Amino acid sequence: MKGTLNLVGYGLSAIGPAIATGMIFAAYISGVARQPEARSVLQPIAFLGFALAEALALFGLVLAFVL
Amino acid sequence: MPLVHLLRSGEGFVPPSTNDFNLPPVIAGNEYTTKPILLVFLSVLMISVFFIMASRKAAIVPSKLQFAGESIYGFVRNDLARDNIGHDFMRFVPYLFTLFTFILTNNIFGIVPLLQFPAMSHVSFPYVLAIFTFITFHYIGIRKQGIRKYMKDIMFMPGVPKAAYILLTPLELATFFIVRPLTLSLRLFANMFAGHLLLLVFILGGDHLLKGVIGLKLISPFAFAFGIGLTFFEFMVQCLQAYIFTLLTALYIAGALADEH
Amino acid sequence: MTHNEGDAWSIFGYLLSGLLFWGGVGWAADHWLHTHFFLLGGLLLGMGASIYLVWLRFGRE
Repeated sequence: MKGTLNLVGYGLSAIGPAIATGMIFAAYISGVARQPEARSVLQPIAFLGFALAEALALFGLVLAFVL
Repeated sequence: MPLVHLLRSGEGFVPPSTNDFNLPPVIAGNEYTTKPILLVFLSVLMISVFFIMASRKAAIVPSKLQFAGESIYGFVRNDLARDNIGHDFMRFVPYLFTLFTFILTNNIFGIVPLLQFPAMSHVSFPYVLAIFTFITFHYIGIRKQGIRKYMKDIMFMPGVPKAAYILLTPLELATFFIVRPLTLSLRLFANMFAGHLLLLVFILGGDHLLKGVIGLKLISPFAFAFGIGLTFFEFMVQCLQAYIFTLLTALYIAGALADEH
Repeated sequence: MTHNEGDAWSIFGYLLSGLLFWGGVGWAADHWLHTHFFLLGGLLLGMGASIYLVWLRFGRE
C-alpha cells in the first residue's frame, strides 16, 4: 500500500459538505412541495447555500492535491 | 490456526487497478483492435440497425420495435431538446440524439455479459465527445450573435462595479473555455471508470474468496450478491450519465443561443 | 426541474474555475517569489470571487 494521507483527509472532509448539500436540497424540495408558489423565492437561497457548501468541498479537494 | 489461514489466503489476491483497463489487442500486434474500439464500432452498428429496423415500417399503430425507437427519440426531442432549447430546437435534435444513444449504448456495454466493458472508461472517448460539444455550442453562439457580442456577453456581466471585472472576467473565461468541456468529459469518464472498478472489486474478490478456506467460501456469496446489486446500481448510473451529458450539451447550446446570459 | 440540474452543475463549474484560476495564480506567485502565503490568499480570493459570481448569476432577483 502506498499513497498519501491527504486523500484520506479529503475523504473525511467531504462528508460535511455532502451532508450539507443533502440537507439543503431536502429542505428546498419539501419547501416547494408544501408551497409550490414559494419556488422562485426558495430557489436562489437553495442554490446559494449549495454554492457555499460546495465551495468548502472543492477547497478541500484543491488543498488535498496542493499541500 | 484458522486465523493464520485466513490471513495467508489473502496474499495471492491482486486487487483490480488501472492495468485492468489497458486490455491487450484482440488481433495480436495490431494496436487498433483493442476491446474498447471494437465495442465502439459494435455500438455504432447496433444503434444503426436498431433504429433503421424501428423506423423502416413506420405505421400509425406502431409495432413494439417502432414504439421502443420512437419513445427514445421522443424523449430526446421533447424532454431534452424542446424543453431546454426552446424554439428552433429541431436543428440540434440529430446531434443530441446521436450523443445520447451513443453514450447510453457504450455505457450499458459495461454490464452486458461477455462484453462488460464501458468504452467511456477510457478518457479519450469522453474527451472527443466533449470537444464536439464545445465546438458546437461556441460555433452556434458566435454565428448567432457575432464574435464580439458573444465574447462580451461571456466576459462582462452587466450590473457589476468595474473593479470587479478583474476578479470575474478570468473566471468566466476559464469556466466557458476550460472547465465546462473538462468537467463534461471527466464526469462521464470518472463515473464509468469507478463503476467498472467497483464491479471488478466485488466480482473478482468474490471469486477469490471462493477459492479460499471454508470460512472464506461462506463469505463469498455476500460479495457476489453485492456485485449483482451494484450491477443494477451501475445500470442506473450509466443511464443517468448519458442523460446528464446530453442535458448539459442541450443547456450549453441554449445558453449560447440566448441573447442575455 | 431540468434547469435546476444544469444550474447546479454550472455553479460547480464556477466554483471550480474560481479556485483553480486564482489558486493557480497564487501558486505561481509562491513558486517564483519563494513565499508561502499567496496560495492560501489566492484560494480564498478565488472562492470569494466565484461565490460572488454565483450570487450575481443565481441569487440576484
